[in-house]
Amino acid sequence: MTRIDATAQRGFDRVLGAENVISDRARLRSYECDGLTGYRVIPALVLLPRTAEQVAAAVRVCAEHGITFVARGAGTGLSGGALPVADGVVISLQRLRRVLAVDPVDRLAVLEPGVTNLEITKAAAPYGLYYAPDPSSQQVCTIGGNVAENSGGAHCLKYGFTTNHVLALEVVLADGSVVTLGGDTTEQLGPDLRGVFLGSEGTLGIATKVTVRLLRTPEAVRTLLADFPSVAAAGEVVSDIIAGGIVPAAVEMMDTLAIEAAEAAVCAGYTLGVPAALVVELDGPAQECHNQFERVKAICEAHGCTRLHIAADAEERAAIWRGRKSAFAAVGRISPDYFVQDGVVPRTRLAEVLSRIGEMGEAVGLRVANVFHAGDGNLHPLVLYDASAGETARAEKLSAEIAELCVELGGSLSGEHGIGTDKACSMPKMFSEADLELMGRVRDAFDPGGLCNPGKLLPTPRLCGERPGKYRPHPLEAAGVIERL
Amino acid sequence: MTIATVLRPTSLAEAAAALADTTGSVRIVGAGTAADWAGSPEPADVVLSTTALTGVIVHNPGDMTVAVRAGTPLRELNAMLAVHGQRVASDAARVDLGATIGGLVATADAGPSALVYGCLRDLVIGATVMLADGTVARTGGHVIKNVAGYDLAKLVHGCHGTLALIAELVLRLHPLPGATSTVRLIGSLADSAEAARAVLASPLEPVACEWSNGALLVRLAGTPGALPARLATLLGSAARRLDAAEQEAAWAAHAALVAGPGSRPHVDRAVLRVGARPSRLPAVIAELTSELGATGVTAGLATGVGTVTLPADPDVVARAHQLVYGVGGSSMLRSRPPGCVAPAWGPAPSAIEVLRAVQAELDPRGRLGAGRFHPWM
Ligand SMILES: Cc1cc2nc3c(=O)[nH]c(=O)nc-3n(C[C@H](O)[C@H](O)[C@H](O)COP(=O)(O)OP(=O)(O)OC[C@H]3O[C@@H](n4cnc5c(N)ncnc54)[C@H](O)[C@@H]3O)c2cc1C
Repeated sequence: MTRIDATAQRGFDRVLGAENVISDRARLRSYECDGLTGYRVIPALVLLPRTAEQVAAAVRVCAEHGITFVARGAGTGLSGGALPVADGVVISLQRLRRVLAVDPVDRLAVLEPGVTNLEITKAAAPYGLYYAPDPSSQQVCTIGGNVAENSGGAHCLKYGFTTNHVLALEVVLADGSVVTLGGDTTEQLGPDLRGVFLGSEGTLGIATKVTVRLLRTPEAVRTLLADFPSVAAAGEVVSDIIAGGIVPAAVEMMDTLAIEAAEAAVCAGYTLGVPAALVVELDGPAQECHNQFERVKAICEAHGCTRLHIAADAEERAAIWRGRKSAFAAVGRISPDYFVQDGVVPRTRLAEVLSRIGEMGEAVGLRVANVFHAGDGNLHPLVLYDASAGETARAEKLSAEIAELCVELGGSLSGEHGIGTDKACSMPKMFSEADLELMGRVRDAFDPGGLCNPGKLLPTPRLCGERPGKYRPHPLEAAGVIERL
Repeated sequence: MTIATVLRPTSLAEAAAALADTTGSVRIVGAGTAADWAGSPEPADVVLSTTALTGVIVHNPGDMTVAVRAGTPLRELNAMLAVHGQRVASDAARVDLGATIGGLVATADAGPSALVYGCLRDLVIGATVMLADGTVARTGGHVIKNVAGYDLAKLVHGCHGTLALIAELVLRLHPLPGATSTVRLIGSLADSAEAARAVLASPLEPVACEWSNGALLVRLAGTPGALPARLATLLGSAARRLDAAEQEAAWAAHAALVAGPGSRPHVDRAVLRVGARPSRLPAVIAELTSELGATGVTAGLATGVGTVTLPADPDVVARAHQLVYGVGGSSMLRSRPPGCVAPAWGPAPSAIEVLRAVQAELDPRGRLGAGRFHPWM
């Protein structure tokens, strides 16, 4: 633990009240990591503001004394985005958790950043409305964290990600000034700074108020769970559904290992031992939904589906989703430790990437479970390992290689978890120096002093060594289809 | 004043050279369909036309993505994609006038179906941009879902030719709808707002819900079936389902109002784009109409985005901005007659310092698009 300058400490005490400034080592420890528990740093202080004004005042103290700060929501992030800085402070938004307004006529909600994702839908539900992005962590993760990570969820295939649902943001900038990005409508004046802030992983400022769009709850929802003799067959189903002009609300895939883990945890009625299971959900006006559902069923059958379970009611539907949403945390049941990646590949390369991941795992003697958003090619390979057996380094390497494989196949390092600390050093695999330089300039424009969540998202020499990994050309570039100067 | 050099690069390399080999101010132009929008451009040394930066780079039908050079007219791109049953789901009024995809992004233009598909910002998944010194940088990628790095394509959405040249775009595609139908209900703006509310509360999920030319137009997309009938029932016996020709004509008339009378010397009218909470839009439009003589109204009753045509008088336009901002909305001047000095923008946004800082970082010498954000920056 590093000590903070005494006048700065008094400054924090003054603006927040000393009882809301944590300096006790035991209490600081509960903030040492986020959901990526492999990285831990104890911050100098943790600040617990209650209002946006207090956040701004605390940031002004930081700015005055050149102290770095890291915003923190629920700490469920999976890329080390909320990892503290040793000589900096963590600003927790957990106490800013009021739903400020739900407007059923204009169909929007105004929220403090600490409101959980699920609370938004709960507040909107009495009006027949809901908030669409639904990360699996929605019971605990905060809208502020969702904004910072541009979080997605199973239903983002049809409805889009956080960035498509946030209208306006009140943001405290690194100098403590307060600005509004975006407005009451999607009509936009000048460059879309709201869009730049979304997904900026806490590096451009702290969101203190978030205005989101609400959607009407669909009239009908139909969900099926289908087993397939191979991952390839399930992948073809996904392709055929999309090629048929159907945009399902969600298409999720799980492999044998992921099913085994989920069943061990929640007994949701998945078939043990099948190579691949698909969850397909359609929603919309009743007739529209019904027609498309019939077509999806036919596509499943055409690809040798070995079992087709259609949720008969809300309860059965919930069970299917329980299995899917628990799969990830449930891996703990079949392995002492695991790493998760969330690289993306073009949907048409799903079968290829999965078989390569399988081979890579086999080559180093580690199992990889797969549960993922198949509709948008967003993988969640879970590398299973046993730290006590000394497998950590091998697993970490495999995990990073899988993320980089996704880039090689024309995809991305991350579909929703963000770059954070975890993948910052892989960024040069996906972006050229000029690309990263441009990002750096934008960061400088928002935060010239570099106080705001430093060391995340962009590779730094301190984190990655002086020579970042070699940039590999995008496959289209290599094939001469796209050019780079 | 010297005559500007017009450069029309045909490749990324030529565009980079065009910027790197010149030093003066640069005005980027596409098809010119929004040349008279936003702040009036200052005279530029170089006019950089994107109209030869055209064509599809790669279309992946299975992934429903397309990479395209920014000077490609969206109309042409969509005609090509239609063969595969796909499209870029933007129905901005300028598309039919030949607007380029880069120009549409740079002006943050959107049409009625932004209600469901979002604006182009929501459809762009990657971009190649070029800074004023010729530096080429990429952002985003070729996959729909991607959170790696800052999403800098957003920065050029609405940049109006400042900050950077948009050279290439990667877009997410949607399937062509099985069928499109429109139900029309003749009525005042206020009554239509009421009716629109009922439609939005219903489970029918319209893709557009607009008032123009004295009627509410509600568009549905999907497999042809019972939906339009349900909608007609919901709106009452006065509502009528349009046949194909009527439907096309109704939306073309809507687009014509959005486009406005055009920037012709003898037409002394200017088009103002307006955004306000949907519940506040009808009242503010009523004020613009009664107090300032607004005509040519289109009102997105679900999106809160509308257009009006006003006398091209600086005081009238300034007052219009004031009325819209008074209800928490925002407004921007679009097409107006040459020489019209009406203010393009309302009050500067609170984040203006950030915008200036971004410009200082990306285009420190202020070469690109001078005047477009006057007097903000
Ligand atoms: C079991 C599990 C399942 C998950 N499933 C999904 C999923 O389906 N989809 C998905 O996208 N993610 C998923 N996640 C990841 C995680 O839940 C999301 O990234 C979430 O948005 C993080 O929210 P948080 O409140 O926990 O943020 P934190 O972890 O506290 O912070 C995340 C980042 O946001 C920044 N931040 C937090 N609040 C603010 C603010 N107010 N202003 C500015 N920056 C801020 C932090 O500095 C940090 O960089 C999952 C995580 C777990 C553990």
